[in-house]
Amino acid sequence: MRTIAVVEDNADNRLLLDAILGSRYRLVEFESGSEALAGLTSSGAALVLLDISLPGMDGTEVLRRMRDDPALRALPVIALTAHAMTGDRERYLAAGFDEYVTKPILDEAILIEAIERLLRRD
Amino acid sequence: MAPEEGEADGYDVSALERLVRFGGVKLLHGMVDVFEESVPSRVEALRSALAAGDAATLQRTFHSLKSSAAQLGAMRLSAMSREGETLLAGGGSAHEAAPLVNAVEGELERSLGWMRSAGEALKESHEDDRGR
Repeated sequence: MRTIAVVEDNADNRLLLDAILGSRYRLVEFESGSEALAGLTSSGAALVLLDISLPGMDGTEVLRRMRDDPALRALPVIALTAHAMTGDRERYLAAGFDEYVTKPILDEAILIEAIERLLRRD
Repeated sequence: MAPEEGEADGYDVSALERLVRFGGVKLLHGMVDVFEESVPSRVEALRSALAAGDAATLQRTFHSLKSSAAQLGAMRLSAMSREGETLLAGGGSAHEAAPLVNAVEGELERSLGWMRSAGEALKESHEDDRGR
């Protein structure tokens, strides 16, 4: 079973992601960007679900630091965000995210397909 | 953003049904419990940020509440939060957001009440279905 890191400060979202993904993947959870950066290398994660609106260091900064770290830069990262304006998807992909999923999650298949596509790529 | 068709009184029961589909009644009740536990800290964050004139914290709190509320079908609460986030993202001040902070505080309690009653109705409905 592949390991996915979930970086999300809201407990309700972590609960939801565990319900949707917990039977398919081993989940490792982090509640902040700094916690994630400290623990990702040893987590065994093959992919990261990264909330954009984290307290303190936001998701975009976490991604930037991951891409600067030789041990983390190749990890596929999916942005989780409640930003859903025109152009947001292109902006996040241009920033280096591999995929972008909006909150609230309305269709679990979209999230699972994105994860599987990125895991197959690697 | 006004409630859409099918969202009677600003609440969308299909969102709760979706959560039951994702993870059963257990997930629904778990998420309502977690949401309820978050209310005091969210209200405190809104009030403190308003008192301090901290537009950035207000915006972030509205943003978080917007999606959490929508995930649980509280569409009026989500719309109010979106309005607050949009106001502040567009350069509005904390002071200008004060009426929305007050409105959101009131709607939080009403939304929780709806989540509980609608959640119980869904739970009974699922128990009835299993009994057939």
